[in-house]
Amino acid sequence: MDFDVLVIGAGPGGYHAAIRAAQLGLKVACAEMGAVGGVCLNIGCIPTKALLHAGETIANTRHAADFGLSYGPATLDIAKMNGWKDGIVKKLTGGVAGLFKANKVTHLVGQASFIDANTVKIGDKTYTASSFIIATGSEPATLKGLDVDQVAIVDSTGALNVPDPVPARMLCVGGGVIGFEFAHIYNNLGSKVKVIEFLPNIIPGADADAVKEFGKIMKKQGIEIVTRMKANSAQKQADGVHVELENVETGEKTTEVFDRVLVAVGRRPRTAGLNLEAAGLKATERGFIEVNTRMQTGVPHIYAVGDVAGNPMLAHKAMKEGLVAAEVIAGKPSEQDAVAIPGVVYTSPELAWVGLTEQEAIDKGYKVKTGLFPMSASGRAMTLQSTEGFVKMVVEEGTDLLLGVHIVAAHASDLLGEAGLALEMAATASDVALTIHAHPTLGEAVLEAAESVHKQAIHIVNR
Amino acid sequence: RPVIHAAPSVRRLARELGVDIAQVRGSGPAGRVSEDDVRAFQKGGS
Ligand SMILES: Cc1cc2nc3c(=O)[nH]c(=O)nc-3n(C[C@H](O)[C@H](O)[C@H](O)COP(=O)(O)OP(=O)(O)OC[C@H]3O[C@@H](n4cnc5c(N)ncnc54)[C@H](O)[C@@H]3O)c2cc1C
Repeated sequence: MDFDVLVIGAGPGGYHAAIRAAQLGLKVACAEMGAVGGVCLNIGCIPTKALLHAGETIANTRHAADFGLSYGPATLDIAKMNGWKDGIVKKLTGGVAGLFKANKVTHLVGQASFIDANTVKIGDKTYTASSFIIATGSEPATLKGLDVDQVAIVDSTGALNVPDPVPARMLCVGGGVIGFEFAHIYNNLGSKVKVIEFLPNIIPGADADAVKEFGKIMKKQGIEIVTRMKANSAQKQADGVHVELENVETGEKTTEVFDRVLVAVGRRPRTAGLNLEAAGLKATERGFIEVNTRMQTGVPHIYAVGDVAGNPMLAHKAMKEGLVAAEVIAGKPSEQDAVAIPGVVYTSPELAWVGLTEQEAIDKGYKVKTGLFPMSASGRAMTLQSTEGFVKMVVEEGTDLLLGVHIVAAHASDLLGEAGLALEMAATASDVALTIHAHPTLGEAVLEAAESVHKQAIHIVNR
Repeated sequence: RPVIHAAPSVRRLARELGVDIAQVRGSGPAGRVSEDDVRAFQKGGS
C-alpha cells in the first residue's frame, strides 16, 4: 500500500482529517483537484466574512456621527476591497499547504476517482491505501429557469466578486444563511436589496423568536424581505435581469427588474467523478454518502466526512468529523457525539444559535422554560452602538438543564462558545447564572438570560 | 438517540472503557454522569 490513509478533498473536513491522521503517526496523502482549503477558505466562510466586515465598517462610519465623529465623503475602492479579501484567502490557503508540509502529508494534485475499494486514480497515476476518507464537499444547488452566468445571475461564488459600480438593484433568491449574508453585504455597499424565500420563514432551523427579531432588524436596515415567494425565470435584457416572481399562496405572477440576481437556494453534496460504485459505495437519493457516528460508510475502511456526509453543511461540523474519522482509523475510540452544532449568520447584528429551538424542545417532549435578556439593557452593547437583539435561553423545567441558546446580537458568534460548552457539559441555567462574567461585556447578556429563566435578572423587570 | 448528560471527556472515557454511557445512571445534578459513575458502572456491570 502506498498510504495508510488517502483523504479525498482538502476542504475543512479533509485537511483536518489529513493533519490529525498524520499527528497520530499514519502515512497520509490528501488529494485535491482545486485549491487547498476547499469551499470554506476559497469561496465560502472566509471571503464572505471579509466582505461582511468591509460592509459593516462602512455602516459603522454612519453611526459614528452619533458620538461626533464625521468624515468627508467616503469613497470605496471596490477593486482594492476585492483584492484585500483575496489576500486573506491566499494567506490562509497557503497556511494549510504549509501545515501539510510540516505534518508530512503528501499533497496529490488532481481529481481522485476509485478504481477499486483500495485504489484511486489521479491523472494517469494510481495510488493504493488501506483507508480512505471522502471529503469532497458540496456545490451550489441550481434553480430551473435561472441560468447562472456569474455576472448578472450569480451563485455564491460569483457574488463574492463585487462589481464596480455595485448593482443598484439586487435580488437574493433564497432567505437562508448564505442569502442573508450576501443581502447584508450588498445592502451595506449601497445596493437596494430584496430577499425572497419560498418557505413561510427565513433562516430555516433557527428559533422562531430569534428569526422574527432578526428579520425586523434586517428590514430596518433597508433589506426588503418577502416570504412565500419564488422566482420562476430570469432573462437578461438591456435594462437588467427580468425576473418572474410568483406568490406561492395566490399564484399571482409579477416581473421585476434587477441588476444582479443571486441564486442561493441550498447546496448539494458532490460525488461526481469519484466513481463510488467501483469502491462498492452508493450515494443516497439526495446525493449524500451515509455514515455511522464513527464516520464509516457501508464499506468499513472507507469513511466520509463534511458536506458530502450529510447536514448541517457547516465547516466546523466537517472539521470535527474529519478528526473523528482520522482518530477511528488510528484505532482511537472516537465518535461524532456532539450534543449540538452551532449555526451562525454573520450579519450585524449576528444571528447565532446552538442546541434546540423552543419548538424543537417542545416537539421532543420537554417541558420548557425560557429566559430572555434584551441587548438594549446591556451597558456594553450601548458603548458599542449595538443594542438590537437579545439572548434567549431554552431550559428544561424541573431539571433546569440547558437545551438551547439563541442570540441576536453583535458578536453573537463569539458568545456561542460559552453556550456550546455549557450544553456539552450538561450545564443547568443556574451553572451559567452562577459563573462570574466580566463587566461590561456582551457575555453578561448570557448570564442575565440564565437569571431571567428564574425571574431573577437584575437589569430588566422580570415578568 | 437520547441526550446523554455528561461532559465530552466523560463520554470519551466511557468509549475507552467500553461502557455504553446510555446505561449509566448519573449521580450528579439533573442526572449528570461523572467519570466516577462510568468507572463504578464498569466495575459493577462487568
Ligand atoms: C458562500 C458560503 C459561505 C459559507 N460560510 C460558512 C461559514 O461562515 N461557516 C461555516 O461553518 N460554513 C460556511 N459555509 C459552508 C462551508 O463552506 C462548508 O460546510 C465546508 O466548506 C465543508 O467542508 P468540506 O471539507 O466538507 O468540503 P469542501 O469545503 O466543499 O471541500 C471539498 C474539496 O474537495 C475537492 N474535491 C471534490 N471532489 C474531488 C475529487 N474527486 N478529487 C479531488 N478533490 C476533490 C474540492 O475541490 C474541494 O476543495 C459557507 C459556504 C458558502 C458557499
